Parts: sequence; C-alpha cells; structure tokens
Amino acid sequence: MLARALCGTVFGLDGVRVEVEADIADGLPGFHIVGLGDRALQEARERVKIAINNSGFEFPGRRVTVNLAPAQLPKEGTGFDLAIAAAVVNAAGDRPLPSDAAWLGELALDGAVRPIRGTLAITAHLDRLGVRRFYVPSANVAEARIATAAPVHGVGHLRDLKAHWEAGAPLTGAPGLRRDVVSGAPPPVDLADIRGQPHAKRALEVAAAGAHHLLLVGPPGAGKTLLARALPGILPALPHQEAVEVTSIASCVGMLPPGAGLLEVPPFRAPHHTISPAALVGGGGATPRPGEVTRAHRGVLFMDEITEFRRDALESLRQPLEEGKLAVARTRGHAVLPGRFILVAAANPCPCGFAGDPKRFCECTPLERQRYRARLSGPIRDRIDLQVTVPRQAAGELLRAEVVVEASATVRERVIQAREHQRRRRPQGPLNGALTGTQLRKDAVLDATCQVLLETAADRLQLSGRAVHRVLRVARTIADLDDRLQIDESHIAEALQYRESG
Amino acid sequence: MRDPLRDASNARIAPKRGARGPAGPDPSRKGDGDHRRERETTIVWLTDPAYPWLLKQIHDPPPRLYVSGRLPSEPMIAIVGSRRATPYGCRAAHRLARDLSGAGVVVVSGLARGIDAAAHRGALEGNTPTVAVMATGLDRIYPPEHLALATAIAASGALITEAEEGTLPLPGRFPVRNRIISGLSLGVVVVEAAERSGALITARMAAEQGREVFCVPGSIENPLAIGGHRLIKDGAKLVQTVEDVLDEFPELARARARTHAHTHARTRTRTRADSGPQDPELFAVWELLDWVEPRHHDDLAVVMNLDSKEVSRRLTLLEMSGYIIGDCGAVTRRA
Repeated sequence: MLARALCGTVFGLDGVRVEVEADIADGLPGFHIVGLGDRALQEARERVKIAINNSGFEFPGRRVTVNLAPAQLPKEGTGFDLAIAAAVVNAAGDRPLPSDAAWLGELALDGAVRPIRGTLAITAHLDRLGVRRFYVPSANVAEARIATAAPVHGVGHLRDLKAHWEAGAPLTGAPGLRRDVVSGAPPPVDLADIRGQPHAKRALEVAAAGAHHLLLVGPPGAGKTLLARALPGILPALPHQEAVEVTSIASCVGMLPPGAGLLEVPPFRAPHHTISPAALVGGGGATPRPGEVTRAHRGVLFMDEITEFRRDALESLRQPLEEGKLAVARTRGHAVLPGRFILVAAANPCPCGFAGDPKRFCECTPLERQRYRARLSGPIRDRIDLQVTVPRQAAGELLRAEVVVEASATVRERVIQAREHQRRRRPQGPLNGALTGTQLRKDAVLDATCQVLLETAADRLQLSGRAVHRVLRVARTIADLDDRLQIDESHIAEALQYRESG
Repeated sequence: MRDPLRDASNARIAPKRGARGPAGPDPSRKGDGDHRRERETTIVWLTDPAYPWLLKQIHDPPPRLYVSGRLPSEPMIAIVGSRRATPYGCRAAHRLARDLSGAGVVVVSGLARGIDAAAHRGALEGNTPTVAVMATGLDRIYPPEHLALATAIAASGALITEAEEGTLPLPGRFPVRNRIISGLSLGVVVVEAAERSGALITARMAAEQGREVFCVPGSIENPLAIGGHRLIKDGAKLVQTVEDVLDEFPELARARARTHAHTHARTRTRTRADSGPQDPELFAVWELLDWVEPRHHDDLAVVMNLDSKEVSRRLTLLEMSGYIIGDCGAVTRRA
C-alpha cells in the first residue's frame, strides 16, 4: 500500500517541491523516515505518530517507511508533518490522494496544525508547477492566498481532515486576501518630533525619494539614531510586487506574525555592531540562510556606529551595495539572495567625537582621525551618495518652540511624487540611488549653466569622477522632489552640500 | 585650503603601489619610509663651502649634514608650531609660507604634522624651494604619512638632517634638531605653540642664536596660543602679513619691494572681496559669517528663517566663488 502527498520546503529563499511517499508493508512494526532530513524531521516520527493516534485515526501497526523526494536535497524544519501524516493515513486506508494538492503544516501532539515558515515561497513555487489545491495551517492562509489563485484550505486540526477524506466534507474556508501593515520594527519616529536638524532632515527626505545611501556624522548624543528611525516613516508603501518579496522573506526567516498577510511597510533592520559577516549578509550552516541585508530588502538597514563594525562584516556589504543582491555559497549548495536596501550609517567624526564641533575642542591627532575614517573603506564610501554632519543641539535649541515643523506625512507626499517621476523615466529600472554612469547621461542631462557650475565645483573641491556621479544622482532626486523634469542650478548647488566633508 | 587629511591619505597610498600581497606588517618592505627612489644623499661637512653660512655661526653647529635634494642659497625664515593645530593656525601658516616663498624666501620647518606641514605645503605653492629639517635619518620619513610631502620638498628644495641613516624618531632628537631649524634661518615665526612646546624651544634657541622671533597671534581662548602670546609679551614681533616679517631684514629689501607691488595689487582685490558678494541673497549669508568661529548650516537656516535646501544652495555658490570655506557642515569666511 503506497500513498503520495505533495509538499514543499525552502532553500535559500526559494520554494522547492518535495514529494512525500509512504509505504506500509508487512514486517516488524516500525516507522522510518528517509530522504536527508535534519533532526527536526527525524523527530517528526514522534509528532506524526502521536498526532495521528490523537485525531481519531489509528497509526498502522506494521512497517511504515516514508521517503521524501528528491532524496538528495537536504531538508530542514517541521513543515512536512502534515504531508507525512496525510500519506501515512491514506496509505493505511488505501485511498490515493489527489496528485494536484499540497499539504503544509507542523503537527502538535494533539493533532492541531501549527504555522510554518516560508508558506508564501512554497505556495508560489507549487502554484507555478500546477498544484491546484492547497491545505495549509489556518494561520498561514492569508499568506498563501497572496501567491495563488487556487483554493487554499485552512487546516486547524488533523481531525478536520478525517471527515474531509472519508466523507468528502468541506473544510472551513479562510478570509480573502488580507493587507497587513505589520512589520517587526517599532513604530517609526515622526520628523515633527525631532528638534532642529533641518539639514539632516532634508537629507533623509532625499535619501527616501531616490533610495540613496546616507551617512550621518556627528558627536555622540546629536540625534543620529533618532533621525535614522524617522526614515521608514517617510518611505512610500511598497508596490505589490515588492510587498510580496518582503512578505516572502519575512515568512522564510520566521518574522511574519501568525495570521499576517501582505506586508506593505518597508522593513527596518538595525543590527548591532558586533554582528558577524554571516549574520549580516547571510550564511548559516550547511544550507544558505538569509542575513540582515536580506531582511532589510526594500527597506532600511541602519548601521549605528558603523566604524565599530568588524572590518570583514563591512567589506561583505560591497556586493549587495553594488548589485542589490548577494550570492551565498555553503557546503550543500548556494543561493542568490536579494538585498536592495537604503543603508543609513551613523558615525562619530573622530575617536573623541568632537571634530568640527564649534564649542568643544577635538583632542585627536590628524593621524587618529584619519585611521578612524579609514575604517569605512573607500569602496563602501563610494556607494554612499549623501553625507551630512549632525551637530549637537544646544539645550536652548531643544527647549525653544519651533516655528515650522514638517510632519513625516507631508514629507512622504513629496517622496511619493518624486518616486513617480523616477518610475515614469524608468518603469523597470533602478531608482536614482542606483543609477549607473551611462544611465545618468540619459536621465540627468545638464544645461550649460549647470554644466559650468558642476565643472567649477569639480575643479575647486577636487571631486573625483565618482564624486561627480554622486552629485548628479542626488541632483536628479532633488529635481524630482522639486517636481521638475530639468535639473537646474539650485539642484546642483544643494546636491554639492551632501558630499563628503573634510 | 587643501585638506590635510586627504593629502595624508595620499601619502599612505603611495608607497603601497610597489608592495606585494595584502597590506600589513611585512619586514621585507623596509624601503617604505624611503623617499629617495633615484635621488642621492650628499654629505655636507662643516668645512665645506656649501655649508650654510648662518648655521656655521651658532655655537654648536652639526659637524656634517645629510642632504637629500639641493640646499638653496636664498635667505631662509622658519615657520614652526603645534602638531595639533587648529584650522585657523594651519591656514595662517599656509598663507604666510606661500607669501614668503612668493617673495623669494626659503621656508624652513620640521616636517611634523600640523603647522609644519601646512608651512611646507604653503611654501610649495610659491616659487622658492622649501627646506625640511628632520630629526630622523633620511631613510626614515617621520611621520610616515608625510612621505609624499617629503618627496615634493626634496624635488625642488632639500631634506636636511644631522642624523645618520636608520636613526629612529626618538623623543630626544627633536629638541636637538630645533637648533638647526633656527640656525639656518634669519628668523623664526611661531604659529600656535602651547606652553612647554617644541616650537617654544625653537624660539628660545633662535633668541640665543641672535635670530629674530616672530609670532602669529591667536584667540585668547585658545590654549595653543598661550605660548606664542607670551613670546609677544617678551618682545617677539606680532605678525599679521608677510610684510611684518620682511620689514625686519634690510637684506630682504628686494624681496620686500617685490611683495609690496604684489600685495598692493592683492589688497585692491581683497578690499573688493572683503566687501562680500554682490548678489544680495548671497551677501545676506556671508554677512552672518565669521573668519574664525565656524557656523553650522542648521544655525544659519534658523537665524535666516530659510529652509535647508535654500541655505545649501547659497553656501555652495559662496564656496564656488571663493568667499567661504566649508568644513564638516560648518562654514567660515575665507580670509
């Protein structure tokens, strides 16, 4: 007696089809699972056996062998429980299961079905392979509905399936596609809550509009962290395709709250500076596992005290900063993980923190300052379009009532409009922050006046070719924020204020 | 003003060009601190006619000098000061050195960080060579990030030391070296010297050797100005412009005459520059700025009641036309 049940797993961030075969044969009673499973899968024997017995079925008292194909693919996790139970029960009852249905879920000992990771990625993959019916944990229904138009049945308990299989009773449906605004991050700071700092706030707006990387330099306590936390609040909601990517990643790494549907808020990740390169860009044991960079995909990666990060961790950021994705190779295969984010880095100006402070005297020697700055290497700096100094606020400034304070919502309107300009120019293409030199020649055409201004600046301020490109990218975004098709002199002039300072 | 940090980083990059493998301590890269790729070292003995005449007059002249480059014959003035100089001090040293060099005077200094380096860099912009007196051997440029600077100095002027090759930068060697700096020079200009600093030692030696002592004043709030201000109280001449230095030396009359015409032409343009930019929008910003105390971008935005992008625009235009200097978001007027 043999039965087959389809399910899937995640490798890297991609769904993979897995077929569960259960065979019941004469012999000594036993339960064996083969097919390169990890420890969690070996323990499925106990979970599945007890859950079957507690749900009104009887676990066959014969020799039960379960195989998970493709057998050479390493399998991790607990998402196979439901498919194994379905295959075993139906092999015992000698009922074939439909070949176009997939079964996902982890079993509790009482037979309840628990949510699993990666439902979205698995469902999307199986949907492409022609699966037409999905049985998923109730808490994962909203997620699965994002990926498929086929019927998705929420399974709350193994007992519900007994009636379904034996009498053809319908399963309780689940609500339709839910849009959630849940994200793992704390609620963003509103710009109106930050005193002063108009220059840095404006830089945040430009960073949000063009997806430019940003470096905030300032003494301790100047408000760099607060500013960074305000960035998600001025980013537009994710377009559908990007929201699906973000939700899928959150689901694969187990960050999606149970029952959540589409995440439309850009993620915000703030790894601590002691993080290892593997945790930052991805790694893991035998199979590739996404890191912080991938978790921040389409959102914000905030690196506070960036000069304190490990050198190898910082250097590992080069590929994602350059390409928006990264290749992770492990012993049992490699994966290409997405990682296109806005980097917000914060640093002190020098080891003592007071360089450039008009009130305090910096006690560092030029060599110390240079060594400190060199911790952020040239290739990383080259990718950071905006650099601003965040001065310490005087107590008087903090207490004084401010005349004009713009709320995040107002700024966000301008950001959305600037993004629309960019989408009109390049419907598929990158945002301004990722434009290449060739693309800039087309998108950021300068008139004669601007040309002269930029050439003078390049000459006087000794700007490198890369620095000129940075200025052009930023000027393009400033013009978009200004609702202008043509870059004018004031846009270039403003862009020049965000360059790296001495 | 050129950015000393950026220049310093160039100096670090330069020697790596020939290096193999990853950067790191590598005993085989001994030639790193060696600026002489093809130039030869000459030894000038006390008895040599080429030995600097002024240096021969001090009571303990070095018996021999190791020279890389060419010992200039023009009159020399030393500029010395703190290694932890303020931006103001560096600007002052840079400008004074450039003007002295433009007047045909050789600027002597010690190749140290801060004021010394600013003086050498300023002098390199003039048309007279500059001389660096080192405390280490010619094969050990100290500090190492001044390798490129040393190479530039030796290309037109000279690096001088009494120390043999391989001599390390030991603390005791620097005060001894200072007597050569003052000994070579008609006078010593002190720019920013804290109390008990090397620059003050040089000034004291200059006085003992019968040379003129000058001082560029600083802010009374600046601890680095205390030593220099004490010199002024004790009779050192206060220096504002290059003419204050040249006036003291009858033998520099011709240099003075040359500078006179030069500065007059410049003063005329300066008065125009001092009256600020023509554009009323830019003038409104410029008017709020100071020559010494930097003012931050955000501060200007609040005071002028302008939004940040407008302040950015005006500051860039002012910087482009040379009216102001920006540093880490804070700006000062260009003197």
